[in-house]
Amino acid sequence: MGLSTFMGLETSLRGLLAQQQALDTTSHNIANASTTGYSRQVAVFQASPAYTMPGVTTAPAGPGQIGTGVDVAGYQRIRDAFLDVQYRAQSMLQGQAQANQDGLQQVQLAFNEPTDSGISSLLSNYWGAWQNLSNNPEDMGTRQALAQSAASLADGFQSLSSQLTTLQSQTAQNVTDQINQVNNLGTQIAQLNLTISKITATGNSPNDLLDQRDLLVDQLSALGNVAVTNGVNGSVDISFGGASLVTAGTSATLAESDLTSLSAGKIQGLITLRDTTIPGYQAQLNTIASTLITKTNAQSAAGFDLNGNAGGAFFTGTDASDIAVNPAMVSNPALIAASATGAVGDAGNALRMADMQTTPTIGSATIDAAYTQLVTQVGADVQQATNQVDTTTALTNALQNQRQSVSGVSLDEEMTNLITFQRGYQASARALSAMDDMLDQLINRTGRVGL
Amino acid sequence: MTARITQGMMNQTLLYDLRNVTTQLSTSEQELSSGYKLNKPSDDPYGASQALKLRADLAANTQYQSNVQDANSWQNVADTALGDIGDSIQRARDLVIQGANDTNDASDRQAIVTELNQLIDSIKTDGNTQYAGRYIFSGTATNTQPYQLGSNDAYSGNTAMITREIGVGVQVAINTPGSSVIGDGTGGLLATLRGIVNDLQSGNTNALSTTDLNALDTANDTLLNARAQVGALSDRLTTASNRLQSTEQSTTQLLSNVQDADMTQVMVNFSTQQAAYQAALRAGAQIIQPSLMDFLST
Repeated sequence: MGLSTFMGLETSLRGLLAQQQALDTTSHNIANASTTGYSRQVAVFQASPAYTMPGVTTAPAGPGQIGTGVDVAGYQRIRDAFLDVQYRAQSMLQGQAQANQDGLQQVQLAFNEPTDSGISSLLSNYWGAWQNLSNNPEDMGTRQALAQSAASLADGFQSLSSQLTTLQSQTAQNVTDQINQVNNLGTQIAQLNLTISKITATGNSPNDLLDQRDLLVDQLSALGNVAVTNGVNGSVDISFGGASLVTAGTSATLAESDLTSLSAGKIQGLITLRDTTIPGYQAQLNTIASTLITKTNAQSAAGFDLNGNAGGAFFTGTDASDIAVNPAMVSNPALIAASATGAVGDAGNALRMADMQTTPTIGSATIDAAYTQLVTQVGADVQQATNQVDTTTALTNALQNQRQSVSGVSLDEEMTNLITFQRGYQASARALSAMDDMLDQLINRTGRVGL
Repeated sequence: MTARITQGMMNQTLLYDLRNVTTQLSTSEQELSSGYKLNKPSDDPYGASQALKLRADLAANTQYQSNVQDANSWQNVADTALGDIGDSIQRARDLVIQGANDTNDASDRQAIVTELNQLIDSIKTDGNTQYAGRYIFSGTATNTQPYQLGSNDAYSGNTAMITREIGVGVQVAINTPGSSVIGDGTGGLLATLRGIVNDLQSGNTNALSTTDLNALDTANDTLLNARAQVGALSDRLTTASNRLQSTEQSTTQLLSNVQDADMTQVMVNFSTQQAAYQAALRAGAQIIQPSLMDFLST
């Protein structure tokens, strides 16, 4: 007994087919070299089931098993799940740092310091105007100049305050947008889950869909803390910020109140800006403005205007959002209480106003010092946020590189594979030709001796 | 096994490095174009707080200098007026000595009285001296004319002090109330001169050469004292002005140290960064393009 005459043809055919499939996979890799989130794939070769030579008396008998060629056992997706987890944790921190930095930089721009138009300079002008008035308490022009520089200062406070309010509401809008994005990603992941489990149920591995899903989870992880649990048939369950977002093929629509244990990420960064950082700056600015208002008005009440009447309120409003110069004083600067005694040439009250510049009024700080502290704090916060962004970006990049090292397509490698598989194909074809020659010899020439 | 390096990794690393160098370049560029190394508080938060404080100090310093200037002008006007009054007193003294001479008859003394009355008005006019529209010998009632010409010698001003701030918490009184130098209807220089006129008219030559002359000398002493005070204050203001100017200089220097960019250093940094950027770009062009593909025959 022997083997089928045509067995060698089949073996070569298997070789040809397998090499071709490997070449197709290589082409697929090359085509997707720049696709975001793509993981390289490998056609896994496996020797096809061996043929056991049938024996006459006992089985097995004869020389043993003979190989029958090669099969492609599957297409493997090269990916390290551990690196995914690490990358996502870092990406979450990076997202938070980035959101924080973006917001703080806008706050810093709003402060517009150190320039000649910042509140710091406006304060200097304002104190100087009181000094000038103390030199010329009788002069209406000097009084008008004071009213104008006080109005500029009040405008400066109001403008900064309203810019901070705008930033805060923009941040709030951004939080809503980002949560919509979370829900949107959740819907896409749930849809992919459905398709993936259908394909997985048939025993196949939907590599490219898995890549797409992993990319969506990557995007999700920049927004907040994500927990991924493997479900049946390759689907995943995802919880975001402590709330269940995706369960197999269904996704929930989350609201901000659902995110009960948000630990980091872009959304957390935005919420901190909205609820803590910006209101904190605003509170400090309001303290400065309200101190200026109350101290100035108290001093004004202690003095007398040009007509010898007791001084009225110099500023109106209660904090940085509504501070303004009393309109009566602007239209009639004679009402500014420069005199401490009622005499027109006395400027004692104006001097006391000017001396407020060097008198501690907010704790142990002067108004100027309190404002400088606020600016310094904003600057230090931005600097710290920038450092955080630099660090987390470097780490995220390093992890992304590690992932790329495992999953990324190396064109050199693919080219080498291309040669290997192409040569393999050629060799299989050559084996087929050899077999063909042998059969030709057998069929057409055997038994025709002498012809 | 060596680490697997893929084209994607090289792209990413190159991009990251290029971004870093570009950021540094843009920072240097901003420093060069603005001339400041401190463009935002986050560039150097401590430096920014120093810069804000120093700027405020500079503004206050400029203000104090302007206060000193104003006080000085005031003193100059006051000194001139007091000098004129001094001259009038000297003339009055000559007239008293002349009038005390018994050889004068009534008409001679009347001529002296006429001149004395003119001197009194002249002194009052000096007392009504204005600086920038303000009566400087009127206390804080600066829009009230302190003396009326003629027979009414009453002082309409007050004795309150006008102060100028010439440094943090340093205030100086710059005015001399007219009543303390020229006096009012009841005492002082004017009353003395009126007494002399009375004595001349009544022919009381004895009183002229004794009590009246003494009283006039006392009034002159008071005036000299007032002028000495004005002079001393002028000296003090000059000292203050010098001090403020030297403070301004050192504050400007400090501010420059904190906020101004060191152009040489920034230029060197800029060139280095530019070289690094170009090298990175060139390397990128070299690294990214070729692969095994370029060396395989078809």
